[in-house]
Amino acid sequence: MGVISTDSPDSAAAATARPAMARVPLARTVVFGAVALLLFLLVVLPFGWVLNNSFHDDITGGWTLGNYARIFQSADLLEPLFNSLLLAVATAVIAVGIGVPLAWLVSRTDLPFRRSIRVLTLTAFVTPSFIGATGWILLAAPNSGWLNALWRSLAGAEAGPLLNIYSMTGAIFICGIYTVPYSFTMVSSALDEMAVELEDAAATLGSGTLRTMLSITIPLVTPAVIASFILSFIQGLTLFGVPAFLLTPTGIPVVTTKLAEFYQLFPPEIYMAAAYCMPLLLVTAMLFWMRRRILGRKQFVTISGKSRAGRRIALGAARWPAFAAALLLPLVSVFLPYAALLLVSLTRAWGQGLSWENLSLHWYWWALFGNSETHTAIVNSLLFSTLAATLCVMLGTVVAYIVERRMVFGASLFGAVTTVPIIIPGIVMSVGFFAAYTRAPLNLYGTPLLLVAAFAATFLPIAYAHGGSILKGIGPELERAARSLGAGEGRTFLSITIPLMGGGLLSGWFLVFIPIIRELSVAVFLITPKTNVMTTLIYNAKDGGNYEAVCAMSVLLLLITLALVAAAGPLTRLTTVRRTSRKSGRKTAPAEGVLPT
Amino acid sequence: MMEFSRRRLLQTGGLVGTALVTGGLAGTAFSRIAAAADDPLYAAAKKEGALTLYWGSYEQQTMEAIRDAFKAKYPGIEVNLLRQASQTVYTRLRMELQSGVHECDSLGTTNMLHYTELKKIGALAPFEPVDGVHIPDAFRNLDPDKMFHVGAISLTSINYAPGKVQSPPQSWQALLEDQWQGKITTGSPAFSGDVANWVVAIRRKYGDDFLRAFGKQKPKVGQSNVDTVTDILAGERVVGSGAPFSYTLTQKAAGNPIDVVAPSDDAILNLGVTGILAKAPHPNAARLFTNFLYSTEVSMILQKNYWPTLRKDVPWAEGRSLDQLKWTRNTGDDLGPEVAEGIAKWKELVR
Repeated sequence: MGVISTDSPDSAAAATARPAMARVPLARTVVFGAVALLLFLLVVLPFGWVLNNSFHDDITGGWTLGNYARIFQSADLLEPLFNSLLLAVATAVIAVGIGVPLAWLVSRTDLPFRRSIRVLTLTAFVTPSFIGATGWILLAAPNSGWLNALWRSLAGAEAGPLLNIYSMTGAIFICGIYTVPYSFTMVSSALDEMAVELEDAAATLGSGTLRTMLSITIPLVTPAVIASFILSFIQGLTLFGVPAFLLTPTGIPVVTTKLAEFYQLFPPEIYMAAAYCMPLLLVTAMLFWMRRRILGRKQFVTISGKSRAGRRIALGAARWPAFAAALLLPLVSVFLPYAALLLVSLTRAWGQGLSWENLSLHWYWWALFGNSETHTAIVNSLLFSTLAATLCVMLGTVVAYIVERRMVFGASLFGAVTTVPIIIPGIVMSVGFFAAYTRAPLNLYGTPLLLVAAFAATFLPIAYAHGGSILKGIGPELERAARSLGAGEGRTFLSITIPLMGGGLLSGWFLVFIPIIRELSVAVFLITPKTNVMTTLIYNAKDGGNYEAVCAMSVLLLLITLALVAAAGPLTRLTTVRRTSRKSGRKTAPAEGVLPT
Repeated sequence: MMEFSRRRLLQTGGLVGTALVTGGLAGTAFSRIAAAADDPLYAAAKKEGALTLYWGSYEQQTMEAIRDAFKAKYPGIEVNLLRQASQTVYTRLRMELQSGVHECDSLGTTNMLHYTELKKIGALAPFEPVDGVHIPDAFRNLDPDKMFHVGAISLTSINYAPGKVQSPPQSWQALLEDQWQGKITTGSPAFSGDVANWVVAIRRKYGDDFLRAFGKQKPKVGQSNVDTVTDILAGERVVGSGAPFSYTLTQKAAGNPIDVVAPSDDAILNLGVTGILAKAPHPNAARLFTNFLYSTEVSMILQKNYWPTLRKDVPWAEGRSLDQLKWTRNTGDDLGPEVAEGIAKWKELVR
């Protein structure tokens, strides 16, 4: 691998990474204790219940290994595992294959309309993938899809369908394009914060733009690339909506659709479902092990108190072709499916097709005013997501810091624990949270707190991975300078590290806020009439076949989230300004303002 | 907490019944509220002040209309409605019972097996709603011990695109004709209780040969049987099997080009069931609600939303009624294993 890295002997690496011993053991104990307690409550306890469940029999309730035995004895249960692996690997390859070059174009070059591309990619992220799948069914169902109809009008009525969304390829395509935002956001945060000396050196030595990108820039952000690969892989493993819509008609089972069947049975096989998730955990653990092997002791420090990114690479003649290529993702993930959804949402009865008489804002009116549940659900969704995302980013960042700087013995265990929840599909985790928090002394059932906790826990791995990949790029020299000048660990973290992480933290917040607001399954057994959220209503409308309402509510969900992203614009600028001022030699502003609390 | 003897309830019910008729005739909300105010069950329920419904029967819109009508008729009772898919609601309730949580007052789901199991573990409370006398005879006294009652009637039939199909298949058997190859859409019995019921009924009627021949028709298998409507409206397929009767009619009424056929070899009827939890925190409110289900108001709401009504004296939408249809219902104690076997056979023969 052409990774640029300064391999150093073990002892030196350990010495640079680990700050000097704490001076205030009490404060240190309190912080680590609090982190450990939170991780215990958010992850260990609910997951412990899932694990415990997996060893019980659904009928008798007694202890058994039978659930695990069943997995490996039945082809019916093995096949979905293999299909899921295929889907996950392909999703990750697409996400990284598109997301990384796109991030480079947007973050490091003079690509036209960079900001718009950024916003559009975020828009793809806001879209629940089952909504994207719905849009694409309208576009590419073999008989009725609009793109296929267009194709037949060109190639003749007898021509077979051009596209068939009901296929493994179709599912991979949809999972892939809606996972690109993960890799894009993580890699572009890393690129935004990167120093330019090494690129300059390459350019001085006569390396072209493309070569510099491939052999200097991208390798330097390897931690972010690998982290986003793993996250995308997990996405491919745990998505339910897309395979349910696109693979059920072709008869290809995957793990999540199989899990849904366990819950559909009478009596429901909840314990079997818990056991069925464990192979996913095993596979993901292997990925993390591989990541350690790849990253090893190489260093990726690019922020070291010297000059920062800011100068962009001129694409020259390739500017507009690159722009066209960058538009492809928004085209397939946003413009085309939303055009389809928008058209449906604007019709009174979509089966009638498009005509003036059939055009109506009825379903928007219905979603906003005609339905008493919607108001509470929108407020709840926004409130829970904001609280959960904030908790998630704070905890995830602190854990990432502890792990990256190896501040405590067994720090990597913290990291491993943090990563667990995202691998367990939401519906199973929901049962874990239910079991953990419906009994004394921690009876939180029916409270918003339980939902906030479940949401925060589910997406903690994203905040942690994102924080970790930024921290890998920040050298400990500045922190050590602060420590030698007498600042404590806490103060160093707050006034040196956090400001250096800067905009990356904000993008991290959105990286968890958005999936939380569109998350459904982890909430399924935790919501109550008073703590209902928007996605339950959308799902109920889908369940009831109210297609126009589903489309209208999805468009609304998109608009609300985009409005929030737009509102965050000034905040982003704030951090950018601060960075510029730092470069011009002025003092760094206090750190607290960066965190979107 | 006030408890009511059966006789007392019957007496009150008579009063309420009379009051209801009077109210209906007068046609003003005021008189209805005034009548309801004299009802001791209402008084007891009002004292409880709240009611929690865990319901999977009926889609969100109809369920909300029923809730709103209840609130209008019985002010002072706050109604918490948890509307999720039947199996989800039931799984949740089961977990709550295991953890000793008692939130739910009234459960309404589309699977009678839920209630036989709950009854077995003593989780249901008996109640005889006075207005239950209006329930169609075939569905009265579902449980000799009055632990559960009919909550919804749902029919599984054939639907089709009228513009694209000259003469739709009139029976399940007709779906096996060559002309429908590659034209059929259906739901999956592994995801949809209605389709699972259909599979059981078809196997009882025609055996596995039907499933084998049906598989050769290359149907498009979605998740829910609601997907049949989506496929037909989109133009992906033209005929739906195991299709939802009421929902198709709702879509037709909304102006969409779709219609239903009640198959000559029997529409499959599935009963939604409702019961009151033994440890319901608001037992009187739950009883009041259960009785309200068999009121004219609720049946009028059902009529408006194209659902079969729960009263003999309220016709369905478009003047349809149960007597005009040929229908069958899966009964028996071994329905659980039979459903599992049906799903397995489906996977083997259809896909």
